[in-house]
Amino acid sequence: MKGILRVAEAHLRTALREKITLFWFLIFPLFLLAILTLIFGNMGTEGEISFAIAVVNLETDTAGPVDFAGIIEGVFEQAGKPSEEGKEPLFAISSPASGEALEDFLASEKKATRFGDRAAVIVIPEGFNQCLLHRMMEDGPSSSANCSLAIYVNEGSAASGMATSIIDQILAGVERDLLTRMGRFQEQKAIPTETLWVGSSGTEVRYVDFLLPGIVLMGFFVNGLFGVPGSILFARDKRVLRRYWVTPLTVTHYLAGFSVGHLMLCLVQFALLLLLGRFAFGATVTFFQPMSILFLLLAAITFLAFGFFVASVAKTANTGMAIANILNMPMMFLGGLFFPVTGLPLVLKAIVFLNPLTYLAKGLRVSVGTEAGTLSVSIIAVPLVWIAVCVAVASWRLSWDVER
Amino acid sequence: MTATDGITLRVTDLKKYYGKVHAVDGISFAIPSSSVFTILGPNGAGKTTTLEILEGIRVPDAGEIEVFGVRVKQINREVKKRLGVLLQDGNFEPYLKVKEVVKLFASFFPIALPVEEVLRRVALQEKGSAYIRTLSGGQRQRLAVGVALVNDPDLIFLDEPTTGLDPQARRNMWSVITNLKEQRKTIILTTHYMEEAEVLSDYVCIMDNGMIIAEGTPRELAARLGQETIIEFSGGSIDAEWLDQLSSYGKGVRKDGEIVYVETEDFVQTMEQMLAWSREKGIPLENMVVRQPNLEDVFLSLTGRKLRE
Repeated sequence: MKGILRVAEAHLRTALREKITLFWFLIFPLFLLAILTLIFGNMGTEGEISFAIAVVNLETDTAGPVDFAGIIEGVFEQAGKPSEEGKEPLFAISSPASGEALEDFLASEKKATRFGDRAAVIVIPEGFNQCLLHRMMEDGPSSSANCSLAIYVNEGSAASGMATSIIDQILAGVERDLLTRMGRFQEQKAIPTETLWVGSSGTEVRYVDFLLPGIVLMGFFVNGLFGVPGSILFARDKRVLRRYWVTPLTVTHYLAGFSVGHLMLCLVQFALLLLLGRFAFGATVTFFQPMSILFLLLAAITFLAFGFFVASVAKTANTGMAIANILNMPMMFLGGLFFPVTGLPLVLKAIVFLNPLTYLAKGLRVSVGTEAGTLSVSIIAVPLVWIAVCVAVASWRLSWDVER
Repeated sequence: MTATDGITLRVTDLKKYYGKVHAVDGISFAIPSSSVFTILGPNGAGKTTTLEILEGIRVPDAGEIEVFGVRVKQINREVKKRLGVLLQDGNFEPYLKVKEVVKLFASFFPIALPVEEVLRRVALQEKGSAYIRTLSGGQRQRLAVGVALVNDPDLIFLDEPTTGLDPQARRNMWSVITNLKEQRKTIILTTHYMEEAEVLSDYVCIMDNGMIIAEGTPRELAARLGQETIIEFSGGSIDAEWLDQLSSYGKGVRKDGEIVYVETEDFVQTMEQMLAWSREKGIPLENMVVRQPNLEDVFLSLTGRKLRE
């Protein structure tokens, strides 16, 4: 027992003192967490999506009882201002330059829309005020006047499509407000709607909370895939292990000590990632519940076994690293660690299906509450099968001394 | 349990084959307790394979091993508790410190010496907190000896302990081994330095091609060459014709690099003839040394090859 703990301690000390190991097992996951959170962390939050539009008001008759054109122009100007300090406004409104003719401004904005620089251009025609007043008071447009707002969009642009939808909603709201003020809005004729909340502001899963379990798994994965064969094969090839085999220490003792040391290293990794996620990026996800701890342990053991497997099929430390590199990318990116894995071709789907990371990521995220779903038997069974297969292959093939 | 007949280790008809290569081909020997037993031989003679079997790294294909009075098929965990092993090519984790390595190995044995005592025995007290990767070759080898002694073993294997060391480090290692002799430890040493074997050994066996070709004390082995005397001198300019002439003055002549060796059973007569030949030819006999045969000469006479060829 004493020997096992000393082997564990030696493994941990070696890993934490070796700069290259330290970089890949601790610094790299921390770095990746920081980078991905900074890039994608604010996606979907209020004010992040902003559309560049232009409002061209061609109405010249503003002397009537109501300046509808001015009201609509004002509404969009308001939408072009940030709702809170530091937030992006919904619309970035472009205006004509001083002294620029409206016709010229309209032409240049249409061109900008065609090239994708504007999501939409709203044109309020001349005579709009009179026409709209007549329509509202007498339930129908005058035949001679133009009551239609022209909205120029780019058909191939997703931003144009989204902006048009928002503009329609804003105009519907303006119309309803005007009719209500004029006593012309009939509530019973409106389509009844009811708003039902499934969450309140702040309860949605933030990207950092989705990402953190994935980064923890990635850390364990890299640690197992590279660290385990790297350590064992280096120690074997450099005749470090030989010194152990001339003492009463058995391979089983060594393996037990190595495994304990590896799990301790995973624990250090986990603690550092958790601290960074929580204090640097405000992650709120909590892992301290039985199912989450079970999945963390299962993940660490699965990748430890994976490492033994790689060590057993590689003749030298260099070959081991090459094999680990080949397995690394497809397994990591097709395991759903950083982004949900959906809509893939059949071959890639097969990798996702066989990949233990898929199940471990799903299990861990469901257990910490950052992904919907239930914990099915397969989520635990597939990693267990991988452990069994890897340990069986390693027991059969792994050589503990240099070949002669 | 200890050896009952004063023999710590007895090996009978030990064999280890790698395909068609007979690495160890039916060797037998017995090592008395508290003695230094040296296995001498050139590279590939089977020394290291023999030791690896006796250290428990390899399993023999055939033969009997009796250690500490117990007959075993292969060296097991119980036996290993009483062995100390210095491997020829073993290494330590470069990112561990000296003290950590000693503690690590001490933890593998039920009884172990204190770390400071181990470091004192190999004169590494000052280096306890140094990383392995910062040690010199000699310091690493001393640490390896310290690790081999961590359990205060009854039987110590030292596989080429001075190979690759500079002369000073080699002398230091000899001093460590001499201390172990004084503590009456049983030591099995392999080396291809005949001087080392002569200085340190109580018994020597010479291996070649997986077999033992001679065995005895260094003095007994040298006596196999009878009453011969070796006369050496620097003779870079001596050619084959002159070597022929010199050969008529003694039992045999050979040239190895710059050095000419003349073997004779009648030293006085040979010496007179050689001096006369030197005067007549005008060839000075520079750096002349007259000595008794050593283990190198024994090996040469048995195999026709030098130990380090």
